[in-house]
Amino acid sequence: MVRFKHRYLLCEIVSEDPRCRQCIDERAVGAAAKDAVARTHGDYGLACCSISFTVKYLNAYTGIVLLRCRKDFYRLLWSALPFVTYLENRNQRYSCFFNTLHVGGTIRTCQKFLIQYNRKQLLLLLHNCTSEEERQSIQKSVLSCCLKEVEEEQSQSGDDEDDCAETD
Amino acid sequence: MSNAREKKRAKKMRNQPASVTLSSDCGPCHSGIQHHNGGSRSFQTPKQDLHPDSSQEFQQQRHQHQSPGPSYRKEQYFSKGQNRVERGRGRGGWRGGRQNVSQEMPKYVTASTFAQARAAEINAMLKAVTQKSSNSLVFQTLPRHMRRRAMSHNIKRLPRRLREIARKEAEKAVHQKKEHSKNKCRKARRRHVNLVVEFNRRQKKNIWLETHIWHAKRFHMVKKWGYCLGDRPTTKSYRACYRAMTKHCLLQDLSYYCCLELNGKEEELLKVLARMCSIDTGPTFAAVPCLSGRLQGSLVLYRVDRYPEDFLGPITFIWKPKAGSGITSETRQLWIWTHPSLKQDILTELKTVFQCSEPVETCSPEPIVTLLQEEKQTDVAMIVGKKRKREDNEGEKALPVKKIIGDGTRVPLQSYCWTSQTTGVVISDLTMEILRYRLIGPLSHCVLTEVLKTASIHTEMADGETELNNWWVENCKNSEKVSLHQRQEAIFELLQGISSPSEIAAGTILGLTVGDPRVNLPKKRSKAMPNPEKYQDNEKVRQLLLEGVPVECAHSFIWDQTICKNVTENKISEQDLNHMRGELLVPGSQLDLGPCESKIPILLVQQPGKVAGEDRPGWGSGWDIYLPKGWGMAFWIPFVYRGARVGGLQEGLKHSEYKRTPYVPNDFPDCPAGIQFAKELENILLEKFKRRPPAKRANYVKLGTLAPFLCPWGQLTRDWEVRNKALEESVVTSSADSKSCATERQVPCEPKPGLIIEDSQGDMMEEMTEIQNLCKEDGAATSSGFFVLRNRKLLKQLSASCRPTCGKGQRVRPASKLGQKEMTEDALLPIFKCYPRVLVWVSLSLLRKGSPELHAMICIPTQEDFLQLNKDQLFCGPKEPKHSDTFKHKILKLKERKKKKNNGKALESGASDALEAKAVEEPKELILGLWPDPLPDVTSHCSRILLGFVTQGDFSLAAGCGEALGFVNLTGLLHMLSSQPADKKGLVLLRTPASLQYRFARLNIEV
Repeated sequence: MVRFKHRYLLCEIVSEDPRCRQCIDERAVGAAAKDAVARTHGDYGLACCSISFTVKYLNAYTGIVLLRCRKDFYRLLWSALPFVTYLENRNQRYSCFFNTLHVGGTIRTCQKFLIQYNRKQLLLLLHNCTSEEERQSIQKSVLSCCLKEVEEEQSQSGDDEDDCAETD
Repeated sequence: MSNAREKKRAKKMRNQPASVTLSSDCGPCHSGIQHHNGGSRSFQTPKQDLHPDSSQEFQQQRHQHQSPGPSYRKEQYFSKGQNRVERGRGRGGWRGGRQNVSQEMPKYVTASTFAQARAAEINAMLKAVTQKSSNSLVFQTLPRHMRRRAMSHNIKRLPRRLREIARKEAEKAVHQKKEHSKNKCRKARRRHVNLVVEFNRRQKKNIWLETHIWHAKRFHMVKKWGYCLGDRPTTKSYRACYRAMTKHCLLQDLSYYCCLELNGKEEELLKVLARMCSIDTGPTFAAVPCLSGRLQGSLVLYRVDRYPEDFLGPITFIWKPKAGSGITSETRQLWIWTHPSLKQDILTELKTVFQCSEPVETCSPEPIVTLLQEEKQTDVAMIVGKKRKREDNEGEKALPVKKIIGDGTRVPLQSYCWTSQTTGVVISDLTMEILRYRLIGPLSHCVLTEVLKTASIHTEMADGETELNNWWVENCKNSEKVSLHQRQEAIFELLQGISSPSEIAAGTILGLTVGDPRVNLPKKRSKAMPNPEKYQDNEKVRQLLLEGVPVECAHSFIWDQTICKNVTENKISEQDLNHMRGELLVPGSQLDLGPCESKIPILLVQQPGKVAGEDRPGWGSGWDIYLPKGWGMAFWIPFVYRGARVGGLQEGLKHSEYKRTPYVPNDFPDCPAGIQFAKELENILLEKFKRRPPAKRANYVKLGTLAPFLCPWGQLTRDWEVRNKALEESVVTSSADSKSCATERQVPCEPKPGLIIEDSQGDMMEEMTEIQNLCKEDGAATSSGFFVLRNRKLLKQLSASCRPTCGKGQRVRPASKLGQKEMTEDALLPIFKCYPRVLVWVSLSLLRKGSPELHAMICIPTQEDFLQLNKDQLFCGPKEPKHSDTFKHKILKLKERKKKKNNGKALESGASDALEAKAVEEPKELILGLWPDPLPDVTSHCSRILLGFVTQGDFSLAAGCGEALGFVNLTGLLHMLSSQPADKKGLVLLRTPASLQYRFARLNIEV
């Protein structure tokens, strides 16, 4: 089967200011990236990148963003990302920068990478924690993400059956 | 985007994580976030009213493609409670949990919250990665190099991690598969003995006709009225069957018609039967030509003394010709032929009327014995397992299984014969004892004469066999009977000289005794054509046409049950016949059985074609042939080999439609079978309607069709009654002072002889007063239901008044012979007022385009329509303005409520209890595009006033235009006729249920 091939850029938004988190939404991120592309590559570059450009996923708490772009032009976007210096939302502007973690061909690979990455981060946190209280809370969260898998599965299967009943 | 696509997408996306943003509660401008996702759709999140002290919540914006309605409500639910966690759990992946972050943005991030966020994200991603989300099967998601042969069949070929999912999928697929067990191999199943056992078992529930196997190979079979009947041929033959009807010969197996035999004194029978029918509806049982046995009669039966209500159904009847001369108290035999759907009603009514309650010792014990044997046999076959097959077979040899001949559903010990102590009348149910085939078409003579050869006369017994033909030999010894046989033969020969069966008097009966038709079977299928040599315009043919078949010739041995039984039992089997053929010296030469040849008594009855109306007189006439049972296939194949095309029920329906005769039971809405039929039809149509997606089916509410599947006759008549009363009142108030006609209207039931004499003749007056008396009598009783007008005199008058009186192309009015007898509407009106709830059967033919459908509406045209028709000859008809669907939003609401209720159940929230209660209160499920049950006033719902409905309608190949048969309300019809201009009398509008276009049609009442 013939399909359009995409590239997915998994980025992390790094900001000094924690308030920046509140302006992470799809529109703001999209606009910032496009703006950067326009500045660096001009109208042609913007037009190239805009084809099927979307923000597929973002998480304001962790600052993870997943951008999609056509495979032919993802270099334009990639090269423009370092020029994003701020995010603007509702007339508030916070400085930040994009750190590209991974470039993938499918969402799935990006997701897989993200899992690995997050795990590493958690371990790092666990190593570097300063107080006992902190350590415990981090341990709890690490456990939660491992233990919940089982639980999740069960609820999922229940969902599955419901869905089937609906669609059939 | 269609709903199905959305669902599919939702299913695919359900495991994918959704974007997570911080919700901000400040600023009214940000009550909802526009969420663009891949440009596919935008979704507005509802306003969140958070508690002031509530924690910072995630605003989860997910791909909410799965049915936006419920999720929207869900959100409202949750916005009050704080069970965000629950919601996150429901679907999608991101499970944030609650975080105790103050409303202001924090200055620094603590490690614990950061870790929590990471953990939650890992969970979401894990779910997205591990869960299969596509619509494909598991093994299809594997990369190519990991695929193995027969993976879908054998789970163990899959990687272990996918086996669990694959197992589930496989289970689902297994459910869909239909399993059928064959405990015997095909060869065993097809063995003749086993085949017969199997056939006998299968016809226990529904009666099979003798031609069943033949039909089942060539026809779509339906189970109707307790029979298995051929509905229509599997081949394309709609037009071919029509051509056969008009030009050659169409053959139908009508053996499913039921014969009830009455045996008793003529006086007794007539006395009682007269109470069941009325002279008003046409000739009764006592009609002279029918009573003598010369003609077959047809009439409509009512419950005893209940005319004109409580209609039972139409029947045909044949009296057995008198053997002696002129003794009225003689015991007579009467056959009443009914449709199987009407049989039970008529039979019970006859039994009560004749007080025949005592079952007689069965008159024909032989078939029952065979049945018993047969049943034992099947039982044995059932019980005995495979292992004892041998013994079983031996047992079968001892008691050979007999093919069921006749009614296979009969209970062996039950009697089908009843007698009465007081009158001595015996009623017997001869269902499936006599076969009946119908030949329709002008060349049915040719087919008949080529197939049937009259029996030769033998005076000596066939050697060895005593049973076979002994009745015939005895008969042949009697010279009187021989001469009768010869006369019958002569008349049968003469039939060849007649070009069409319609030339003979309707219902002519000719009895015959014929030889075995299998003997002179042609080698190839050929088409019987008329022989020009036989067309001698001689005196004899003319005499036959003029006088008809003499009474004596109507005699047949088929009336004698013992002879019938003898004939059935001593039939030479097909196998023996073929064997004898094979032993012929010259292969392929004519087989001469000599005295061994079976003699079969039959009855030929002419079936009248189109008698009413002006065009195509005699169209569709033909012959019915009555045979003793057991001889079905023996006669059927020769008919087919002579070029008769075979039709099923559909062809029968079309035949009656083109002939413009009512079809049983479709066109009898006032008899129990008709009501039953209408209900079944409604269910079928409704199911069919509901099977289509709502967007792809007609919205009958918008089309202004109140009842697309069932004709609400009761409500129609009631509404017209109400309407009529309102009209009267308005008339009275407007011109109460001067018009005598108005005063008459006020007191419709009072006979006013003076007034009537002015309009009509004396005899008319008599009749009217008689009718009015009758009306008075049952005026109160009629209030319950409606009935169909079948009074021929009234129908004739109505028919005359329906015709346009003047205009272009002035037709010669056949009604003019009624002359002064014809009544003006003013005089008619009061009479028919006494029949407030009466329907009239009408036929309609469209003026121009259009073919009417089932349940099309018959409406009254307005003055403007006529004006436009005058202006523009090509004017098709007015259009109904679109109606608005007021139920659509109700249905939507109800749906939402239902969904909510379901959600409520899951949550066990008490808040929705009230809603639930309301939803329960809704009495019936609303269906999009249909009016819910209490219909509004049916007559005035649309822009044109409704008069009635069509019960049969199609493009008539015979007439070359759309034609329909239906019923209209009498009051409405008279109302319409009185207001129409003279040259446009009888013009109505027709509208099919799924269209807004009205079309002009001419209304005719054919008597």
